Amino acid sequence: MQTLAIEGEMTIYTAADQKTALLDFLNTDDVLEINLASVNEMDTAGLQLLILIKREAAKLGKTLRFVMHSKVVLEILELSRLTNTFGDQVVLSPNEESSR
Amino acid sequence: MSFDKDMQEALDLFNIECTELLQNMETDLLGLENSADLRQTINAIFRAAHTIKGTAGLFGLDHIVRFTHVVESVLDNLRDDKLSVSSALVAALLPCCDHLNILILNVAKGSLEENAALTESGNRLLDELRPYLETTTAIESSDLVLPNHAERIETIVNDAIEPGNWLLFLQFGENCLRDGMDPLSFINYLATLGDIVDLTTFSHAMPEAGSMDPETNYLGFEIILKSDATKEAIESVFEFIREDSLIHILPLENRIPYYVELINSLTEDNAQIGELLLKSGVITQRELEEGLKAQHSQAKTQEIPSRIGQILVDQRVVQQPLVNAALEKQQQIKDNKIRENQCIRVDAERLDKLIDLVGELIISTATASLRGMKTGDIALQEANANVISLVEEVRDSALQLRMVPIGTTFSRFQRVVYDVSKELGKDIKLVINGADTEVDKSVVEKIGDPLLHLVRNAMDHGIERAELRVERGKPPQGTLGLNAYHSSGNIVIEVSDDGGGLNRDKILAKAVERGLIPAGITPSDQEIYAFIFEPGFSTVDQLSNLSGRGVGMDVVKRNITELRGVISIDSVPEQGTTLRIQLPLTLAIIDGFLAGVGDASYVIPLDKVVECVALTTDDNHDFMELRGEVLPFIRLKQLFNKKGTAERRQNVIVVEHLGLKAGLVVDRLMGELQTVIKPLGKLFEHVQGVSGSTILGSGEVALILDVPTLLRQQELSQILT
Amino acid sequence: MAKTILVVDDSASFRRIEIMALTGAGYEVIDACDGVDALSKLDQLSEQKIHLIICDVNMPNMGGIEFVTRAKQNPKFKFTPVMMLTTEDSDGIKQQGRAAGAKAWMVKPFKSEQLLNAVSKLILP
Repeated sequence: MQTLAIEGEMTIYTAADQKTALLDFLNTDDVLEINLASVNEMDTAGLQLLILIKREAAKLGKTLRFVMHSKVVLEILELSRLTNTFGDQVVLSPNEESSR
Repeated sequence: MSFDKDMQEALDLFNIECTELLQNMETDLLGLENSADLRQTINAIFRAAHTIKGTAGLFGLDHIVRFTHVVESVLDNLRDDKLSVSSALVAALLPCCDHLNILILNVAKGSLEENAALTESGNRLLDELRPYLETTTAIESSDLVLPNHAERIETIVNDAIEPGNWLLFLQFGENCLRDGMDPLSFINYLATLGDIVDLTTFSHAMPEAGSMDPETNYLGFEIILKSDATKEAIESVFEFIREDSLIHILPLENRIPYYVELINSLTEDNAQIGELLLKSGVITQRELEEGLKAQHSQAKTQEIPSRIGQILVDQRVVQQPLVNAALEKQQQIKDNKIRENQCIRVDAERLDKLIDLVGELIISTATASLRGMKTGDIALQEANANVISLVEEVRDSALQLRMVPIGTTFSRFQRVVYDVSKELGKDIKLVINGADTEVDKSVVEKIGDPLLHLVRNAMDHGIERAELRVERGKPPQGTLGLNAYHSSGNIVIEVSDDGGGLNRDKILAKAVERGLIPAGITPSDQEIYAFIFEPGFSTVDQLSNLSGRGVGMDVVKRNITELRGVISIDSVPEQGTTLRIQLPLTLAIIDGFLAGVGDASYVIPLDKVVECVALTTDDNHDFMELRGEVLPFIRLKQLFNKKGTAERRQNVIVVEHLGLKAGLVVDRLMGELQTVIKPLGKLFEHVQGVSGSTILGSGEVALILDVPTLLRQQELSQILT
Repeated sequence: MAKTILVVDDSASFRRIEIMALTGAGYEVIDACDGVDALSKLDQLSEQKIHLIICDVNMPNMGGIEFVTRAKQNPKFKFTPVMMLTTEDSDGIKQQGRAAGAKAWMVKPFKSEQLLNAVSKLILP
């Protein structure tokens, strides 16, 4: 199992780079985990990437989990009502406070 | 104008409006079980209650609001099919109408607060309604939120809150992210306007990973928003990104009936579809403008551009049912406008004043005409003749103003028949004919009570019990008819029943027993039936508390006589009875024939005059022969104890009423005139044979003869002698 | 992490009120008195991000539209939302501004509350 931790923001400013990184990460293993604990800012562009990568993983028959969602991420998922659609276990990251 | 006076006027209007609304509500309730269009009837009843509540709220009449609110809740359940129509429900709601009437009457009398007794009786009525209220609808009258007028619309929303009011489709432009406009941020802000009940994020527009541009927006959202905010306010959330996005805000499907109702209840003068939709809040000003713009550009390319409603539906800013509702409303407004143009509400007092003035005018014209005659100035006489004919037209038009359809009086009897049927345990239906027959307002006002008595009487004594009816081969349900029509310058009102008919022999026996007629004489059926109008005359063996105590029919007759009317009876045993009331169309002015006796003048109503003949030789007989018939005389000189020697050449005015004929012997014939009836003073009320007085052009007072009474007295004296 | 807003307006008093309202609502505010000043303020920023630019249209030295056009040339602010403030609701100016990348517009005068509402449409909390 491979894990990728995303640091900092997931926004329109970072989306282009992150798209490449995420798609590359998808090829590293069949069971994948993306740690969202250190995501301190997120917008619609960031959300689109999460949707894209989930969809691609499913297409490739891979298991992709988002874990350790930061508060910012959780808020976006709640707003777009995608928490259940993504189906990942949601716990508040312990280092939540420090990441902000 | 002082505030108090303004307020009083407003309250008076409120009183009139509510009385009308309650009247309609009652009629609708009574017709509810047999309504052809149940939904419409229920809606009409609901709207009546709703309007009363709304207006009462504006006046701060909290007790009326409180009471009506509960009634309205029941009606709302009925409307939402949570209840079905039943006679028990109608029976529970009808007294509420009555109670509201009392409350409103009290308001009109100046008591703006409810008194304890009324509160109690009101609460009893509301208790009756309890079974029809859902348990969730609290009747805690104390903590009801009383809406004021401005909050009315909001209240409707709050009352009937359902999950979600608005359906939003948002497809933001693909460049919005690059422009720094973040869709999620707008949605986050939207949540401050209300409660996002449901939200679905659509990402199907997002292409393959390879061609997906991470800086392009692919997301769309469908949102159900529960919010009291207006469509305008919701729309304004997206003002920054509107240009590049597809944004549709629609009332949620299950809210459509609410908006349909709202459109129906709009009090708009503007009958344009767009305006109606705008006022009800289902579209916004911008949406309307864009729709109109689209229509405008269509007009350039197409022969017939789409209707604005269709364009708005196509643009997905509003659903078809709402456009339909607006179309209906538009029609209704147009209809109302037509009706409004035809009808204005005028204080009856002003009308009376006008009629009075016209009366004075007629007298003055007569004076002028008389003077003109004396001058021998032909031109003046012609001018006068012109004035007279115009004044006659004015008179007719003025009288026409007072004509009202008798229908309002008739429809009151729906309730009476309903109540009395219940009381008597008989099944009786009311059939009304000629409701639009017009009659002078003063007649309508005074005919109510006599009719009420006749109706009750017919139901109590006329219509048999169901078993007897079946035995006689009649349908078990009795029919009571109210019928009105015009007949030769009179209005005829008939109260008919398909009951057992009058018992001719029994009445005759009773009449003989009471000494009203000598034994051994056989009068006509008509004459026999007429005895039931004698004071204290009753052939009923058992008295009921409705009628049949022998009081009443004589009062009915007196009332009708006071209206210069006549009542007659047709009856067929086991088939039914018809009471026919014949009344003059108006009470204010008559066409008369002026005759002189000694130094006095008398007016004979022209419609009673058949012809005039000269009495060449007076041999003091009590009759003369006229074309082979015996014509009895009524000598006015004797009747009114006039002194003076008889003129050498006397005249006979032949009068007729209901087949009775007599000749009035007078000294001088003075020609036709139209004249204003002045009622006799209290002192002369009981003088028989005179129905009123009038002032002649010369300033002289003339008595108006009551021909029917004179004829009957004459006939009676003949029978008895 | 508080979001940062750049406020550009030649009226000191207007800036004052904007700053009061925005800081009161928890935003960090950097202010500039015209386009030139604003560009230099942006240049001085090292790590700090700007989440929203609120900018008057008519200013001496460098007006709002020119400033926005220039600011957007900097990759750091390419996607930064811009809200333009005008005293007149003119379509011509709006067209220019939109072309320069300013999509949000508000017409003066407005109340602080309206300003904060507009801002919260543009910045996620």
